[in-house]
Amino acid sequence: MDLISFVQGILSLLVILSFSPMFAGLVNKQKAIFTGRIGAPILQPYYELKRLLRKESINANSSSFISKLSPVINMVAVIIAAAMLPIGFARPIISFEGDIILFAYVLGLARFFQILAAMDIGSSFEGMGAAREATFAVFAEPIFFFTLGGIAFISGFTSMYAIYHSVRLDNVSYIVFIIVCTISVFILAVSECSRMPVDDPNTHLELTMIHEVMILDNSGVDLYLYQYSSYIKLFIYAILETSFFYPFGVQNFTLAIVIFAVVILILSASLAIVETITSRFKMKNIPQYLLFATAIGVLNLLIYTFTK
Amino acid sequence: MENVLSILFCLSLFYLSVTSRVKAYVTVLQMQGILLTVLLVFPFINHFSAYALILPASLFIIKVIFIPRYINKIILDLDIKRTIEPTIQQFTFLLLVVFVMTAIFITSHVLSKSTDIETIPFASGFSAVVVGIIVIIFRKKLIVHVVGFLVLENGIFLFGTSVASALPVMIEIGMLLDIFVVVFLMGIALNKISSTLSGFEVTALGRLKD
Repeated sequence: MDLISFVQGILSLLVILSFSPMFAGLVNKQKAIFTGRIGAPILQPYYELKRLLRKESINANSSSFISKLSPVINMVAVIIAAAMLPIGFARPIISFEGDIILFAYVLGLARFFQILAAMDIGSSFEGMGAAREATFAVFAEPIFFFTLGGIAFISGFTSMYAIYHSVRLDNVSYIVFIIVCTISVFILAVSECSRMPVDDPNTHLELTMIHEVMILDNSGVDLYLYQYSSYIKLFIYAILETSFFYPFGVQNFTLAIVIFAVVILILSASLAIVETITSRFKMKNIPQYLLFATAIGVLNLLIYTFTK
Repeated sequence: MENVLSILFCLSLFYLSVTSRVKAYVTVLQMQGILLTVLLVFPFINHFSAYALILPASLFIIKVIFIPRYINKIILDLDIKRTIEPTIQQFTFLLLVVFVMTAIFITSHVLSKSTDIETIPFASGFSAVVVGIIVIIFRKKLIVHVVGFLVLENGIFLFGTSVASALPVMIEIGMLLDIFVVVFLMGIALNKISSTLSGFEVTALGRLKD
């Protein structure tokens, strides 16, 4: 790896780390506008993070070292995952053959520790949240593997950078492929980042929540790490979605950056629209929603196996 | 292009198997009608002929405008409940559809080696036929059975375009007329049933005695 690509990698990681709260803010602002409110400023997540940093972190008496360890592991794992994503045509810092597997399991590790920490506190309420998170994760993981695995299968590469750079627009079915993949990655993003149809990020202290209930007993720096990592995670999935559109700017750096910005904006708008027009699903309907995305992934794989 | 449309067709089948509203079923029918029309119009872009447009036009009028409107009218008139009332869980249903579709894609791939068919449109059409059948098997509402039947018929249509590139136009138009008459008859039958029985479910019909 030469110096220029290393600098590009560092830069793209910094872009992810610095812009991720803004993406969440953008979604919230648009959501407020769609529902007829003025809403918090786009930079609100930054203020909230700053406020959390000033506070003291307090742990429950019954909690063990896992509760102290988990926020840090969560943050580190998410940053490692972020370092694997290509933005535009910049080569990510961590990139090797088979990194899509590492990507999935680094995020899995973050989730695993979050679930452990939620159970560690000993509150039955958080245990319930942990159980739900684990259940839905079971259904969410196949989506990732069928979608990204499908692309890996088509392109013949197993590194994210190589995969996204090998896909070319010269066959028509690539357009179908974009349609199919964006739908399933969108559903994946919604479920992994606990957005609206799966989980409601606004309901505190209600029996319906999944992700929020797990971090209920955290405060101060711990909560800061959890919140920040969840912002980064949302942005990671957004970038995963944008990557499908890079081949439209084949070998053109500026065009790739423009596409990146435009798709991010469209994606935030569509997240906001979906959150405005849908209500949260019943718990029993969520597996079927996630299986729908898996089914799309299976279809994707079938298409490419049989159109060769 | 044919592949693209057939895959969108498959996506509509997936949507059919997760949704639980009768109205969404009608929307899926409309969407499939549009897809089939585009599929039929597409080959004529290069060599245009007015005669060849008869089939797509009649298809569009019947499948996208008449039948959905008529079904919506029946739903409104008879005040049918808006959920589909499945006999098995939606999750199981979707799982079943995925397995069936995989099996069909593999089978048609095997078939395409020995015969002259295009795998993707053939497999999508075939899947629509099977999905139509399992919709009929696992749903209680009579109106949903009709939609299942129409999906099945759409499947046959897609399937036909992949097997023979040009079926005689008269046969296809005759088929369309058949479908239209069947749906019409169904409407009359449902109206009659509603005057005798209160529900529109298959279970209610099972209790009939002479």
